[in-house]
Amino acid sequence: MSIITVSMLEKHYPDPEIKGTTFAAVNKINLSINAGEIFGLLGPNGAGKTSTLEMLEGLNEIDGGSVVIDGIDVKINPYEVKKIIGVQLQSNEYFDRLNLSDLLTLFANLYSTTVDPMHLLAKVNLEDKANAKPDDLSGGQKQRFSIACALVHNPRILFLDEPTTGLDPQAKRNLWNLAKDLNADGMTIVLTTHNMEEAEHLCDRIAIMDQGQIIAEGTPQQLILDHAPEPPKAALHGNIEDVFLVLTGHGLRD
Amino acid sequence: MLTKLQLHLAAIFVKIFYRDRQAIFFSLLFPLIFTGIFLFSDGEPDPLKLGLVNESNNELSIKFVEMVKQEKFFEVKEGSASELKAELIAGDQTAIIIIPRSFNNLLDPGKLRLLLDASQVRQVDAIQDSLEATLLSIERNIRNIEPMFSLQLEDVKARPQRYIDFLLPGILAYMLMNLCIAGSGFNIVEYRRRGILKRLFVTPIQPKDFIISIVLARMLIIMIQLSVILALAIGLLKINIIGGLLPLYGTILFGAFIFLCVGFFLGSLAKTQESIRPIVLLFTFPQLILSGIFLPITSLPDFIQPIAHLLPLSVIASTMRDIANDGASLIAMNLNFLGIILWVLISFFVATKFFVWQKVAS
Repeated sequence: MSIITVSMLEKHYPDPEIKGTTFAAVNKINLSINAGEIFGLLGPNGAGKTSTLEMLEGLNEIDGGSVVIDGIDVKINPYEVKKIIGVQLQSNEYFDRLNLSDLLTLFANLYSTTVDPMHLLAKVNLEDKANAKPDDLSGGQKQRFSIACALVHNPRILFLDEPTTGLDPQAKRNLWNLAKDLNADGMTIVLTTHNMEEAEHLCDRIAIMDQGQIIAEGTPQQLILDHAPEPPKAALHGNIEDVFLVLTGHGLRD
Repeated sequence: MLTKLQLHLAAIFVKIFYRDRQAIFFSLLFPLIFTGIFLFSDGEPDPLKLGLVNESNNELSIKFVEMVKQEKFFEVKEGSASELKAELIAGDQTAIIIIPRSFNNLLDPGKLRLLLDASQVRQVDAIQDSLEATLLSIERNIRNIEPMFSLQLEDVKARPQRYIDFLLPGILAYMLMNLCIAGSGFNIVEYRRRGILKRLFVTPIQPKDFIISIVLARMLIIMIQLSVILALAIGLLKINIIGGLLPLYGTILFGAFIFLCVGFFLGSLAKTQESIRPIVLLFTFPQLILSGIFLPITSLPDFIQPIAHLLPLSVIASTMRDIANDGASLIAMNLNFLGIILWVLISFFVATKFFVWQKVAS
């Protein structure tokens, strides 16, 4: 059953190259994300992933089309949507001079709820860091803490924006396990990533975006079958990275 | 009314600001220096160092010297012309009076010569005027002439008024403005640049909740900072707050609200950390000149006065001065109170209406 329905979603930004004109960063896309699944949004830099995600989260104005999350229209009622979603952003900056426990209490209050900081920190393996400041944490710990902040109100849907960028393999695996555990408890997860292994390992379904459009959508296995280049005769060949490169080209994007 | 969320958030901000020990230290250092300057200068000008060369040395000139010595405005030293001139050049004397040999003749005593180092003395005219007035009264005394006129200064409101009594309410209002704008405007630009605001607005919090909570927290901190200055001013400088502390604090609260909201607005206008400084200066500097902090607004050119009276710092400083010096009440139904109410409404409107929490495209 669909929990997120995206119809003809559009986002336009001023074109940096031709003054006075705009370009479509997100160009009339349609998506349907089911309750309880892990859904991955893949794409090269500038494909429109983060713009799409931020419109879903009520952080970026919707220029055209609609997003309905759990029956609530994001454009009409962004504040109601924010109550049922948890968001982990790419940047991890917090107020100075507050420790992890203080920050979790603060975020819980922003959702008008209470939280046991130690319980939540234990969930992301940070129970021994309750009195540390975010600046004292390693990259992986920061990402896990960022997810803890997104969980203070026990959201129905969790949005992760490139959660493993810059993490070492151990930290990456650890974070994947955390996402899988949360999903096993019934949480719908929507993530953006550059990491093909991550998409293949974690996601139930994937949409590949390029130049503001969805160019392919399906389960990782289905996408490999449909798009990966030929070679062997085995039923499943290549991997999601092959799919990605075939569909979006080999050229650097930044 | 205030919500539980706003109060909780305000408590968190107090915690954040309170833990910033360096900011607290420096915000308290300024009032200490300010009070110290006035305390040690005692508010009275230092006596003028005056060298006297008595070339005449007769009964009349000795009497004259004695009378000059009795004047409290002068610190007199007698000596030879060459010795005192050397001291004048070295800056140890401010002026030298040379009494000529012909001084014994009451009908034609000749001219007293006044030597000054004009390059060192910034107020030559003022010194000359005060010397002449003193010499005139000494002359009358010697000649036994009663002055025809005298000028006695009398305050129409019959209160002991010193410059510091005039200055302090204005300085408090000016500090209030600076502390508030630094506390909201600069904060907001920094929070936005680092993406902290974005993280905050991922949650269902609304701009007005965020603004009100920071305003509450900053108000508390600023009340403590201004209380320290007030305590020093009342305790050490013997400032008399005729209207009482309660209406004064009421005005400070209104002022804090106005300037914090203006700070949010300026912070939303500024795209970068570099641009917030000139924008803030554009708002604060004209008010330092035009809002009657150091000199009354009535001393400004006529065409500027109506504008000057409307400035937020003017209405706050004037109300604080009316309370401190004249014993007025805060809600005296005058134009200043109306001005305060108007600025409260305007500042809250612009702060919430134009609030930008997202990174501003450059």
